[in-house]
Amino acid sequence: MPIAFEHVSHIYNDGTPYRHVALEDVSLELAEGKITAIIGQTGSGKSTLVQHLNALLLPSAGKVLILDRTIEAGSQPKQLKSLRGQVGLVFQFPEYQLFEETVLKDIAFGPKNFGVSEEDAAKKARTAMQMVGLGPEFEERSPLELSGGQKRRVAIAGILAMDPAVLVLDEPTAGLDPQGTEQMMSLFHRLNRESGKTILIVTHDMEQVYRYCDEVVVMEQGKPKLRTDVQTFFHDSSLCRELNILPPALIRMKDMLRENGFTVSDEISDVNGLAKELARQVKRHG
Amino acid sequence: MGNFTLGRYLPLDSPIHRMDPRAKIMGMLLMLIAIFIPSGWIGYGIIFVCAAGTILLAKLQFGFILKSMRPMMIMMIFLFIINCLVIHTGEPLFVIGPVVIYKDAILQTLYIVVRLLLMIMITTCLTATTKPLDMTLGIEDLLKPFEKIHVPAHEIAMLISIALRFIPDLIDETQRIIKAQESRGVDMKEGKMQERIMAILSLIVPLFVSAFQRAEDLANAMEARGYAPGEKRTRYKVLKMAGRDYTLLLCCTAVLAGMIWLSRMS
Repeated sequence: MPIAFEHVSHIYNDGTPYRHVALEDVSLELAEGKITAIIGQTGSGKSTLVQHLNALLLPSAGKVLILDRTIEAGSQPKQLKSLRGQVGLVFQFPEYQLFEETVLKDIAFGPKNFGVSEEDAAKKARTAMQMVGLGPEFEERSPLELSGGQKRRVAIAGILAMDPAVLVLDEPTAGLDPQGTEQMMSLFHRLNRESGKTILIVTHDMEQVYRYCDEVVVMEQGKPKLRTDVQTFFHDSSLCRELNILPPALIRMKDMLRENGFTVSDEISDVNGLAKELARQVKRHG
Repeated sequence: MGNFTLGRYLPLDSPIHRMDPRAKIMGMLLMLIAIFIPSGWIGYGIIFVCAAGTILLAKLQFGFILKSMRPMMIMMIFLFIINCLVIHTGEPLFVIGPVVIYKDAILQTLYIVVRLLLMIMITTCLTATTKPLDMTLGIEDLLKPFEKIHVPAHEIAMLISIALRFIPDLIDETQRIIKAQESRGVDMKEGKMQERIMAILSLIVPLFVSAFQRAEDLANAMEARGYAPGEKRTRYKVLKMAGRDYTLLLCCTAVLAGMIWLSRMS
C-alpha cells in the first residue's frame, strides 16, 4: 500500500496576520519497504510534511493516503489512534518526551496506550531496549538521569515498542556523537532490511543519505523539488551542486580523482574500495 | 491561545504608545482607585469618557476590548445569578418561577459589570500600548524608592522580564510535547479519568524538566557574561518623562479628585 500525498497544502495560522504556507500543492508518492531520506533547507516544509503521516497535522487542502487510510482536507478523521500505532513518529530531540519513573515503564507507555496488556507491553519494551542497545541494567533506572545519547535511545525505543509498520524519524541523530549516530543509523537500516519496515528520515547529513538510504526527496519552499533513488542522486556531484547541497566526501573525492585523470567506477561505494582502486591504478602507472 | 486578547501588547504607533511607561502605570493606578470610589453613575460616565478617549488616542479597536471581556463573561453571569438569589431589597420587578427578581439585584450586578468593564478598558490602555520590557523598566523605576525598605526592585523587574520572555518558548515547547505524546498514543482530549491523568502527567513532567533546563542554561549564560544581581548597572534604554506624561498624570489625578468630590456630595 503506497504512502501518497495528493495536492496537499498546509497553512499555519490561516486567517491571521501570522499566516504561513508551509506546504503548497504537494503531490508525492513514497516507496514502501524502503528507507527514504527527506532533505531540504530549514523551513522547506520537511517537518510539516512528515507530521501529516500520522495525522498530527491535517491537510488544509488535498489528501494524504497512508496504509489503508485516506485523510482528506476538511474532514475530521476518526480513530486516529490506530493510525498513530501504525505510523511511529520520532520527533527532533525526542528525549524531551520522557516522563515515567523508570526506563522500562516509559518505553512500555506507547504500547499500553494502544491497548496492549501490561505484561505484553513490558515484553515489547524489553525487545525494543535490546534493539537500541540498552542492556537490562537500564530497566529500573530513571530516564531523566541518563546521558543525552542514552535518553535518545530510550525515546526511540518507546516508538519501536509500538511496532509500527512505518517509522518516521525527524533528524534522529542531531546532537549525537559520531559513534551514537553510526549505531542509530545501522539500527534503522537493520529494521528496514530485516523487518521490512518503511522508514522515512528527515536529515541534513548527506553521508547518512548516501550510506543508508534508498530514495531521496528534496524539499524546497514547501514543495518537493525532486524525488529519485540514491544511486542516481549521488551518481556525481552535479545534481547536488545544482541543488546547493554539499555532496558526501566520497563523491567529492571521486569527482576530484576523475578531474585528475583517474578512472573511477560507479560501483565503488566506500572508502576502502576507493583506496584499493586508487592504489591499483597508481601502481600500474608507477 | 490565539483568541486570548487580555493583556496582549499591540504594536501600533500612537501618542499613548510613545508615553513613558512609568506615567502610564501611575495613571492606571490612579484611575483604578477612582473606579473603586462610589461616585455614582455620573462618575462612571466621566471615567468611561476618559477611558474611551484614551482608547481612541491609542488607535485601539473597541472590538479588541470586548474580546478581552469574554473570559469574564461566565463570572458575570454567575454573579448575576447569585445576586438575583440573595438580594431582596428595592422593588420586586418580575418573577421567574420561585425566584423574585428585585431592582437592587439588577442594579448591583450592573454596578459590578460597569466597574469591570472600566477596569478592563483602563488596564488594556496600559498593556496594549506598552511593550512588556518597557513595562518592567517602569515597574523597576517605580519600585526604586522602596529599595530603602529592602524591596529588591531590580530583581523583581528582572524576574518579570525573564518570565515574560519564556512564555512564547514554553507555549512552543508544550505544543511539541503534546505532539510527541500524541504520537505515542496519548489522547489529550478524551479518555477515562485515569488515562487523562496519565496524559496530563506525560505533558507536565517533560515540560518541567525542560523549563528547569532552560532556566539553568539562562542562569549560566547570564553569569558567564558577568551578571550579578546587586551590582550597579546602567541601562541601554533610559526613560524620560515628557510634557505629555505629566499631563496624563495631572488628568488622572484630577479625575480621582473629582470622584472623591462626587462621592462626598451624594
